[in-house]
This record gives sequence, C-alpha cells and structure tokens, in this order.
Amino acid sequence: MKKLILILALFTFMNIPANAQVYYTKNGNISFFSKTVLENIDAENNQVISVLNTETGALQFSLLNNAFHFPKAKMEADFNEDYMESDKFPRSTFKGKITNLSEVNFNKDGSYPVNVNGDLTIHGVTKSISAPGSITIKNGNVSAASSFKVLVNDYRIKIPSIVSNKIGESIEIKVACNYQKK
Amino acid sequence: MRKKTRRNIFLFFIAIIVIAFIIGYRVWNEPHKNIKNATGTKTTAAALYSDLTKDSATMKSKFINKIVIVSGEVKQASRNQTGQQIILLKTNVEGGSVNCTMEENINNITPGEKIIIKGICSGYIGGDLDMGLPGDVFLTRCYRST
Repeated sequence: MKKLILILALFTFMNIPANAQVYYTKNGNISFFSKTVLENIDAENNQVISVLNTETGALQFSLLNNAFHFPKAKMEADFNEDYMESDKFPRSTFKGKITNLSEVNFNKDGSYPVNVNGDLTIHGVTKSISAPGSITIKNGNVSAASSFKVLVNDYRIKIPSIVSNKIGESIEIKVACNYQKK
Repeated sequence: MRKKTRRNIFLFFIAIIVIAFIIGYRVWNEPHKNIKNATGTKTTAAALYSDLTKDSATMKSKFINKIVIVSGEVKQASRNQTGQQIILLKTNVEGGSVNCTMEENINNITPGEKIIIKGICSGYIGGDLDMGLPGDVFLTRCYRST
C-alpha cells in the first residue's frame, strides 16, 4: 500500500512540471503595417492561437486571415478576396523554435531577447524565416512580442499594378501575445 | 459650332472623370457593415462549434463570413491586449469555446449567464491536439443580441 501511494505521489509530482511547461493564448494579437505614398495600410487580428512550450522552445501561431480587421471595409474586402484569397487559403501559420531558450529564465521577472526560427505559411506558401523577439516574465505571467518584415512577393501575393502604389513591397508584422498556463 | 462641340466633348470627359473620382472615393471609404442592426443565422454555441469542427463545406458556406446569432452560456469574460472584451461561450467540448471579440462591451457579465451574441463568424482554428488543447470557433465585431 505504501509503495502504491509512493508511486502515485511520484506520478503526480512528475506530471506537474510537464503540464506547467505549456503556455497558450487564443486571443493573441498580430498586426501588420504597410507604408505607401497614397495611404498607410494597417490591420489587426486579435484571434491568434499560440502555443509556447517553455521546455523545448517550440512556438506556434495560427490565425484566420478573414479575422484581420481594417479601418476601411474596401481594404478588408480586397485583402481577403484579391490578395490573400482567404476562401482558398483561410489560415496563416508559424511553427518554429526559440533558438536561445537557455537565455530565458521563466522563473525570474525580466524581458529576455530571443531569436525564433521556423516556417511561416502565408497564402499557401511556406518559407523559413528568422525573427527577433522578446519574452517577458512578470509576476509569473509570460508574454511574447516580435516585429519583423516579410516580402509580399515571397508568398506569391499578386498585387495588381493599378493599386501597386497603394501597397508596399514589404509588410511589417507585429506579434504580441499574453500567455496563460495550460 | 465646331468650337462649341469640342468644348462639350471636353466638358463631357471632365464630368466622367469627376463622377469616376466620386464613385471611387465613396467605394474606398465605404463604412463597415453595421452588425448591431443586421439580421443573421440563429444557432447555439454547441451546435456552431460542432458544425464547424466537422470540416464540412456546406457548414462552412453557411456560417463563415456570415453574421450569426449565437445563444449560449458564458464560460469566461476577459479583455485582450487592445482592451476589447472577449466572451467565451461554452460548447460540448471541454476547453473548446465560441470565442467572441466584442465591438460593444457588455457590463457586469458573469460566468454561467445565458446570453445571445451576434457577430461575424471567422471560422474554426484547431488547437494543439498533442498538447491536449482544443481549438475555438471565432466571432468578430460582436454585440449582445435579443
């Protein structure tokens, strides 16, 4: 009986850190910005699912393209229908890893610069990217932020020449996620 | 007479350009659809979640990018990074919700409360099955409905 209790206690003890290593959000924020001669284009998506494994450094993001909200309805319609073809390619995803995970102390408050490498899939095209970011620990809460640029051409997003002056060749993407423990 | 004709043609083209500019300007600056006063397809949170996780083309075309009026029980109310209110509606899947980003905040909302929410359905994102995290069905630009 004592052995059984010991085994159960051991299993319970082993399970706690295993569960505590996964953080997630289903309402992360990803926004993008493109500065052009005629008009700046920006949009925001507050329905990003992200999962962070603090033991392995595995990090993933997934969002629905049609959940980007633009200041103008026409911009939103053009983005979904003409550029992203959201019916055909509904999701954008990122799957990667924090490459300098050992420099992040998840048990100590602070802001830790990180590098993330992985595969970014937009418009059905997957490209390997590397992006700088930061992991912030505050009172045990984990948040992540990043800002990087992607080239529209890399993801076979066709911009008609008539509006090409409205959309820049590169888009600045910003990520901000507040995680909760699973 | 010839001079008058040329002047009329010139004015005609100017008028065409002005009209095209006005139409273009109005289309480009057209406001977003008014969700608050719009009608939509009625369903429940459990049914909507079940329908969209089946990955059925019929269900996708019925709900995605459409205005839906969803009744359900509040699981959680919180705020996202930008201060918008997030209301999670319970489904029959543990950990899976109808995730509503509100355009108009609801005061004094509590978990367990029955509610009807109207918004645009973006679709379903699967979670991470390896980590036992179910996905959510997402609604944007939401309002409380009756």
